[in-house]
Order: sequence, then structure tokens, then C-alpha cells
Amino acid sequence: MPTEPFQIAGSIEDALSAMATGARPVAGGTDLVVGARQGKSPLPSNLVAVDRIVELSTIEQNAEGVIVGAGVTHATLMTDPLITSGYTALADAAALVGSPATRNVGTLGGNVMNGSPAMDTGAPLIVLGAMIDLRSQGGSRRVAPSKLWTGPGSTSASDDELCVAVALPKRSERSGSAYVRLEYRRAMEIAVVGAAASVELNDEGVIEQVAIALTAVAPTIVALEGLTDLVGRRVDEDVLAAVAAIASSQAQPISDLRAGADYRAHTVGVMARRAVDAAARRAAGETIEVPVNRAEGVGRTDRP
Amino acid sequence: MTDTVDQSVQDGRRRFVRADGPDKVTGSGRYTADLQLAGMLHAKFLYAGTARGRIRRLDVEPARRVPGVLAVLTDADVPDVRYSPGVADRRLFARGTVRFEGEIVAAVAATTPEAASAAISAIELELEPLPPITDPEAALSEDSPLVHPDWADYDADEGVVRSGNTASFSSLSRGDAASAMAKAETVLSSRYVADGCHAVPIEPRAIVAQWEGEKLTVWTSTQVPFDARAGICETLGLPTNRVRVVVPHLGGGFGGKCGFHFEAHIAALARAAKRPVKLVFTRAEEFLAPDRRREGMTIELTSGLDGDGRIVARQGRLVLDGGAYLADKAFFPQLAAMQATGPYQIPNLEVEAHLVYTNHQPAGSVRAPTAPQGCWAVESHTDELAAAIGMDPVRFRQVNGLDTGTTGPTGQVYDAIGLQDCIDTATSMLDPTSETADDEAYGVAVGWWPSFSSPSGAYVKIDDDGKGQIITGAQECGTGAVMTLRQLAADEVGLQPEDFELVYQDTSAAPFDMGATGSQTLFNNGRAVVAAASQLADQLKELAANRLEASASDIVLADGHASVTGTPSVTVPITELAGEAAGGALLLGHGSSPELAYPTGTATCVGDQGMSAWLSPQFSCHVVKVRLDRDTGVARVTNVAAAHDSGRILNHTGALGQVHGGIMMGIGQALTEGTVYDDQGKQRNAMLLEYKLQTAADGPAINVEFIESYPGEGPAGAKGLAEAPNVATAAAVSNALAKLAGRPIRQMPMTAERVWNELKPSPSNNDTSITEEGR
Ligand SMILES: Cc1cc2nc3c(=O)[nH]c(=O)nc-3n(C[C@H](O)[C@H](O)[C@H](O)COP(=O)(O)OP(=O)(O)OC[C@H]3O[C@@H](n4cnc5c(N)ncnc54)[C@H](O)[C@@H]3O)c2cc1C
Repeated sequence: MPTEPFQIAGSIEDALSAMATGARPVAGGTDLVVGARQGKSPLPSNLVAVDRIVELSTIEQNAEGVIVGAGVTHATLMTDPLITSGYTALADAAALVGSPATRNVGTLGGNVMNGSPAMDTGAPLIVLGAMIDLRSQGGSRRVAPSKLWTGPGSTSASDDELCVAVALPKRSERSGSAYVRLEYRRAMEIAVVGAAASVELNDEGVIEQVAIALTAVAPTIVALEGLTDLVGRRVDEDVLAAVAAIASSQAQPISDLRAGADYRAHTVGVMARRAVDAAARRAAGETIEVPVNRAEGVGRTDRP
Repeated sequence: MTDTVDQSVQDGRRRFVRADGPDKVTGSGRYTADLQLAGMLHAKFLYAGTARGRIRRLDVEPARRVPGVLAVLTDADVPDVRYSPGVADRRLFARGTVRFEGEIVAAVAATTPEAASAAISAIELELEPLPPITDPEAALSEDSPLVHPDWADYDADEGVVRSGNTASFSSLSRGDAASAMAKAETVLSSRYVADGCHAVPIEPRAIVAQWEGEKLTVWTSTQVPFDARAGICETLGLPTNRVRVVVPHLGGGFGGKCGFHFEAHIAALARAAKRPVKLVFTRAEEFLAPDRRREGMTIELTSGLDGDGRIVARQGRLVLDGGAYLADKAFFPQLAAMQATGPYQIPNLEVEAHLVYTNHQPAGSVRAPTAPQGCWAVESHTDELAAAIGMDPVRFRQVNGLDTGTTGPTGQVYDAIGLQDCIDTATSMLDPTSETADDEAYGVAVGWWPSFSSPSGAYVKIDDDGKGQIITGAQECGTGAVMTLRQLAADEVGLQPEDFELVYQDTSAAPFDMGATGSQTLFNNGRAVVAAASQLADQLKELAANRLEASASDIVLADGHASVTGTPSVTVPITELAGEAAGGALLLGHGSSPELAYPTGTATCVGDQGMSAWLSPQFSCHVVKVRLDRDTGVARVTNVAAAHDSGRILNHTGALGQVHGGIMMGIGQALTEGTVYDDQGKQRNAMLLEYKLQTAADGPAINVEFIESYPGEGPAGAKGLAEAPNVATAAAVSNALAKLAGRPIRQMPMTAERVWNELKPSPSNNDTSITEEGR
């Protein structure tokens, strides 16, 4: 058998030069390798490991916000104080990924670049206004996630582009975010549906800004439209009911093994209302432990 | 025994480290897939991939030309043998027809797994697909096509009642159910449907076969090494004494590794290739290929109550989806009928059960076969009955449930049984009448399960240093049953469990045992070990009697010493006696389990498979607390209390593990585990991501009590144990969910989506019919 190249990149430059000659990056391998073993697509013959690149695994704060390296693992995301305080929805999502083993090796960059419509960090990144930093030997560019994800498992990045970081814009004091997903069990699960919300309140507790995005109800993660009517209102039962209705109506779910389309359309509304509720409460200063799913229950079934 | 014996050992509460524990925990243990032999090849199978079809063309020549391929086999290359217990309906390789997607068409051995896969892809197979027979009810109709058109020509045991697609039929009948029903005060009918599900051992199956001349050794991850040997001998035409089956550590089985499956294929490949050959299943193969899957089942029950809420009659009809081959399940219909009848006093009974051939994967023994589904149906039905007459469901079970001295539904009279104690104990551990939040409810269910007598043998020896070995035919599948044998031997000769090592899972070293199946290991092999060890005890007592100048009948063996009764100072260490024996008559014992007499009932049974009256019956009561998210239908079991009468408990730590595991498996069956088929009879969720086992994170708080006052006929009063904990949990969950949803969820698993569908307001959801005459 011919031996195939497997390189271990020590720096971003190493990785980019390997990718320029056709190597596929592998970070935690929890999508790439597991997918290959399941027969989804064969393991690429030319691989470059990017998990040891130190520059990819930092979380840094600057004037514009926080830059999260693409190699940061879910285990770090769910516990890092910058993320849990300011970008809690992302921590909620990271804390739900797989199992401790999956979270210890699986990365944000891998999740983003894998582009699954069921990815858990996707909806949080959209509501938090994140931008994705891509780099190749040809240069760097910054894209919005909605421009990056083009379909199930496909992105607009070219094969030689490495995701180096995710940029999270600065958040106001009175903002909160949350991610909630429907799951049938509490580990090793994949989102049946999920929703992230970001809410910013004014001093009177009235909504100034709200963003909601949905997981696993369309070919890519989708941001909800038509939320402007909610601005200027308090987060009460009426607002939450409206959120659920908007989410259910904008979802275009499919029926598959995990759930029927009707059930998905209904439950994504439930997830959206719970996400907005938790985000608003966090915005108002309440502490809800990460992840919301465990603090509040796989749908409220987990109350202590 | 005397008062010098450690009491903590006597009452079975002594905790000792299981002999295979350190190996398994540290990774030093070796499993079949770890074995490497010089020159070893890798095997792959070509599966039908189609649920039903005719083989139009099969050309394996292109596979032979793939570099590295040393053997390719099909039906044409193995002896012309149709085999299988009960009904010989099976061949190693498909001949002419394929009957389920996992049917093996060809096998390849090559120098690498990749070459073997390439060879499989190179095989040219043309299948003419036929419409699959997937609905067992439809398969029963006169005009259904037959899964086995030649069924009447197959060799079969006389007792198996068969016809067309009915692979095995059984009934239980006692009294006059029809007229008792007509006179009943309240009559209620219900219908329940359980999907099939899987055993899912974490170790996928692995086999290594090696020939040395005419002698064959097969290392295999089986629960039943002697059965595997018998299958190899039958299909390849070999005498028993030239085939040795060895099981390295087994990574779980749950019934899924019972029966003879693939060992002969690998042995035949090894013979053809003249090299050792290894097979390791992928997870998908582990889901699709074995003929051990928990059967889907439809259960229709009608019960009549008198004015006092006593069950006067029960009628039932069960249809079991048997899949393409009978495998080991000729007895399932009768056992299912017992399960769907339940541990109740029912004077008039009429239940019939049809096990049906379909083009699904064959079903077979999975932990407590037929029980979780049958119990789920009858216990859900029982709560419906109690509700129909406004009686508390626990009270209903106390009134109607079996008790010491009562007569069961098939006329068996129970001497001393702990069902009522189980109900009292479990409901006091977790009181189902206590207050809950409005999204929580309790559910209660009772269950029962037999113990089985089977021939089983062991040798026990003590070497010159006073250390012993148990050489047993028994197989350890993880339950700890074999591990507990050390304690039985030690108690017999006054040594400690740690003084014994085990030689096991090797058909050439030890006498016969049925294997890790039917909760029978400790029940039967335990008696064999006690018999063997008691011969050693007699030998030691003779030696001690000479030494101590006393009568052998006055010698007691305890704490590593032989002493004279009443004069503990007159004593000699067993090590010394062992040293003495090493120079003369060696300390060697052998034992086998005497056949136990089975009790009888009075029921009339068509297709009797010996399941209508039970030896050392076990009873249980599970109480669960369930929380339901009404917005999504997601349910979570938060607490379980389980009380079990499994006779005397010999190894408390091990027994608790069995109950905990049984409960987790029951919760999975209740809520998340079920095979999903496409419209062509192929499984859609043959993978761990989509077949949702419960995880440790899902585990509820579990409390267990053993009712030990009713000894069974096993060693030291034990009964079986490993399957009983898997009987009642799903039923208890169902009863809690029914309270929360306002009506029973009639299909299992009771998935979130199914529960949600029931919660949606729709009048058509209820298919229970209640008639309350004279009310
Ligand atoms: C048991 C299990 C459970 C899981 N549960 C979840 C879950 O709950 N939620 C969820 O969202 N996901 C889940 N996953 C999927 C997976 O763990 C995550 O998507 C993870 O974040 C992937 O990261 P990785 O580093 O392992 O990616 P890899 O597998 O290394 O890579 C994934 C893809 O991204 C590309 N890639 C990786 N890094 C870069 C980069 N820096 N730049 C460009 N391309 C890159 C790779 O080439 C590949 O195509 C689970 C996986 C497993 C095995």
C-alpha cells in the first residue's frame, strides 16, 4: 500500500502550506475520522493535523470583542470565563457536544467548518454576531457565518482556507444569550432541533435588540426574521408565545429518523421561547448555569 | 458451619474484587479482537443487503483475483447442511434466496481488512428483489407469500407447532375464559405494540479460527461456547473432540451473543486459506447480522373483573415478529404468553401466541426474551383495569397478585414466594401515593421470570500450596456469575474466594455448560462447583482426621484451617494438608448439577415448550418516578425503587450491578430504543447515534432491596438473577407516563414524539374499549 502523507503542523504557516498542496486539515477528528469510519466519506488521503498549533487555541479580548481561536475545544469554551459571562449561548452549546471525550478534542473550528445543519455552536454564533476568520496562502478574509454555510456539510470556504478564529463582537452590559436544544438523552446526542437567542434590554427591562437562530430545521442554521415587532416590549408570556410561533413558522424541517417535520416545527418553537426566556433573564442579571439544558431541563425535566 | 466462619461471608454480603475486574478496568485483559496470530488473515462477509430476493447470479471469481485474497466461500463451498435448534431452517450461506438484509451470501479472507473489503466489492451479485414480508399480522393470513416456501420439508422438533409463516405457535388455556368473561362485571380490552430492539453489547463480535492439522481452535466472543462448538461440528461435519472453542474476555452480550452464528464461516475460511483467519464486526454489522434481536410484538389483552375487582378471566392474542429464521426461539410464544398473563391469580385463561416468519432480521434471546414487552403490555393493562373500577393500582396488584400458597394462571401452586413482599418493599421505598409536582408521576409494575435447570459441570482442585483452581464450563458474560463461583468453592473448603483462580470459557478444558444464557450460570454451575468442592472438603477432612486423630465427621473447615468440632485448638492449616495430598492422593473434585424436577401446572397447552410452570420463580416490583416535559414529550426517569425476590443473594455487589443494569436497559426500551425500518424491511438506525441507548448521564437514582426469605433451588438457596431486573421497568415507566399523558402510550419505545402525539388533543387516540355491565 502506498503511504499517504500525514503532517503535523506546528504553525499556521505550516498548515497553510500543506493545504496549498491539497492537504485537508484535521483538528479533533471527531467529525472527519468518525464520519469516515461510518462510511460517510472516505478519510482524505492527505491530512494535516492542526490541533497542536498554539496560535489557534487562544481566547483573547480586545477593544472590539473576543477572538476565539479555531482550535479552542468545546471543553474550554464551556468553562472559559470570557465565554460563559459574555457569550453564554456559545458555552451552553459547547457544553452539550457529545461526551467529555468529544468535548476535550472537538474544536470550534471543526464544528464551524464541518457545516452540519445540526451543529450546536452555529445558532449561538449567528445570534452573537460572530464573524469567521479564514486564511490561506493567498490572504485573509472575514465572513459572516450565514455566508459561510451554504448547505448541509458544505461551506463557501475554498479547500486551501484554514479557519483561524471566530470573532465575537463586544456585548452590552444588559445583554444575555442562551442556547437550548431538544435532546432525547443527556450525552452522546445530536440536536433534534435547537435555538439560540440573544437579548439586549434597556434600563426598564424592555427589549432593545433580539436575535434568534435555529438548529436542524433547514439545510443550514437559520436566523429568524421579522423580530422587530418584539423590540420595545417586555419579555412576557405574549412575547414568548410570539417567539414560538415565529420560530415554528419559519422552520423548514424535514422528517427523518430523529423526528417528524411536524414535531420539529413545534418543538423548535418551544426551544426558541425557552432560549429567549433564558437569554432575557441572563440579560436582567439572573445566573442560569451553563448549559441551560441542564439548569432548566431537557425541557424542564431537570429541575433539582 | 461453625461460628468461626466469617459471618459476612455467610450472609453473602462479603465484598470481594471480581477476578476479571482488574484486567477489564486496567486494560490488561485480552478480548478476541486483540488476538494476533502469525500469518493471520482478515475476513469480511458479503450480505444480501435486500430483505427478500432471489439470487439470479453470483460470481465470486473477480474477488479471487483481488491481490491478497486467499479464500472466497459461498454456499457451494461448505457441506450441504441445514441446521438450527427446533427447526432446521438455516444455512451458513444463502442458497437461491435471501430472507433478510443481513443474510450472508459470501465470505472472503485476505491479508488485510482493506483487501478483504475490496474483494467483497468485487463480487458480482445479481438479486431479483421480491416484495418483503414485513408485517407479521399480514404474514399470518392464508394468502401471504411464505418466507420459507419449503417449511414443511425442514427437520423439526415434534413439539414445535408450525404452519406456513407461523414458525412456532403456543397457547395457554385453563378453565373457561369465554364464559367467565361473559359473566364478568367489568370487561376491558387493550392493544399494545412493541417495536423490536437490540442487545447492543459494547464489544462487537470477533472470531479467530486456526487449524493445526485436523484440529480446530476457535476464539470467539460468544456467550455459549459449547453451543458454538456444536454448531461448528454440525455444519462442518467435525467430531466434538477436534474442535476447541475458547472465549477470551467477553465484552458483554445481553443475549445478543447467544447461539451459534459465524464461527463456522471463519473456520471454513481458515481451512480453505490454510491460515488463521480473524473476523471483527463493525458496529453496523453488530446491529444487522446476528440472529439475536429483541422481537417486535403485538399484544391484545381482554380481562374480566368481578364486583370485588378480582380478575376472573383473561384472554390474549400475541403476534411476535420472529424475522427470517427461528434461531433459538421456538419457546418464545409460550414464554411471551406467560409474560402477558403476568403473576396473577386468574382462574380462567385463554392466551394464544404466534411467532411469525418475516423478512426482518431474526429475533432471538435477548436478556429476558419476551418479558419487557409482555410485562409492559400486561402491566399497562393492569393499571387500566384498576382505573376502570376506581381501585388503587397497588391495591389491585395486592388483591390479584400471586402469594405463597396461591394458584397461578396456569395452575401452578406456589409454595413460598416473595411477590407481595416485593410490592410492599418497593412501594415503601418510593411511595407512589406521595405528592408530586404536576409534571411528575409514579408508576408501578410487577414482574416475574423463571429459573432454568440445565446440565453443567466443573472440576475443582487444590494444589500443593493450598491454592485452588476452578475449571468450569461456565461462561462469564459480565454478570459476575462465574466470578461468584469462587465464593461457593471457598465456603465449601474453608478458604477465601481469593484463594481460587478460574479456568473458564474453554470447551476442551472443562465439562459442559449451557453458557451465559437464561440466568442459569450460578444456578446450575454453582451447584456443580459446590458438588466438586465438597469432594475436596471430604478429602481434606479425611487427611485432617488422620493428622488430628479425630473422626472425619468431626472436622470443620474454616478460615484456612481444619479443626476438630468443639476443640478449635486442635487444628491444622489447609496448606499443610494440601502439601501432604500433593505427595499422594491429589485434591481433585468434579461435579455436575443434578437435574431439578420441574413443577407442573394444570393448563392445557398447544405447542407446549415447557414454559407454563416455572422452577424457582423470581418476582419483582419496580416503582419509578417520571418527569414529563409536556411541551416536547421528553420524559425522564428520576427515581427507581426495585424489590426483587431472586432467592438468596450470593454476591451482593454483583447482584446490585445486575439490577442497576437491568433498570437502565428497561428505561432504554421504554423511552428511546427501537429498531426503525424502511418500507423495504431494512433497518434505518443500525448505528449508535440513531439507536439511542441510555447513557450514564441519563441514570436515575436507583434503590434496590432483595427479598431473601424465599430460597430457590440453586446453590445455597439462590435463584437466577440476571434477566429478572430487565422485566418490569419499562412497564412501570409506561404507567407513570399514562398518568401524565392522560392515557397509555400504546407503542414502545414510548418516544418523545409518540408521547407528544398522544398529548395533542385528538379523540381517536384511545383504543381501549371498556364495557361495564350492570353498573
Ligand atoms: C460522539 C460524538 C458526539 C458529537 N456530538 C456533537 C454535538 O452534540 N453537537 C455538535 O455540534 N457536534 C457534535 N459532534 C461533532 C463534532 O464533535 C463537532 O462538530 C466538533 O466540533 C468537530 O471538531 P473537530 O475538531 O473534531 O473537527 P474535525 O473532525 O477535525 O474536522 C471537521 C471538519 O472541519 C475541517 N476543519 C477542522 N478544523 C479546521 C480549520 N481550522 N479550518 C478549516 N477546516 C477545518 C476538517 O477538515 C473537517 O472537514 C459529535 C461527534 C461525536 C463523535
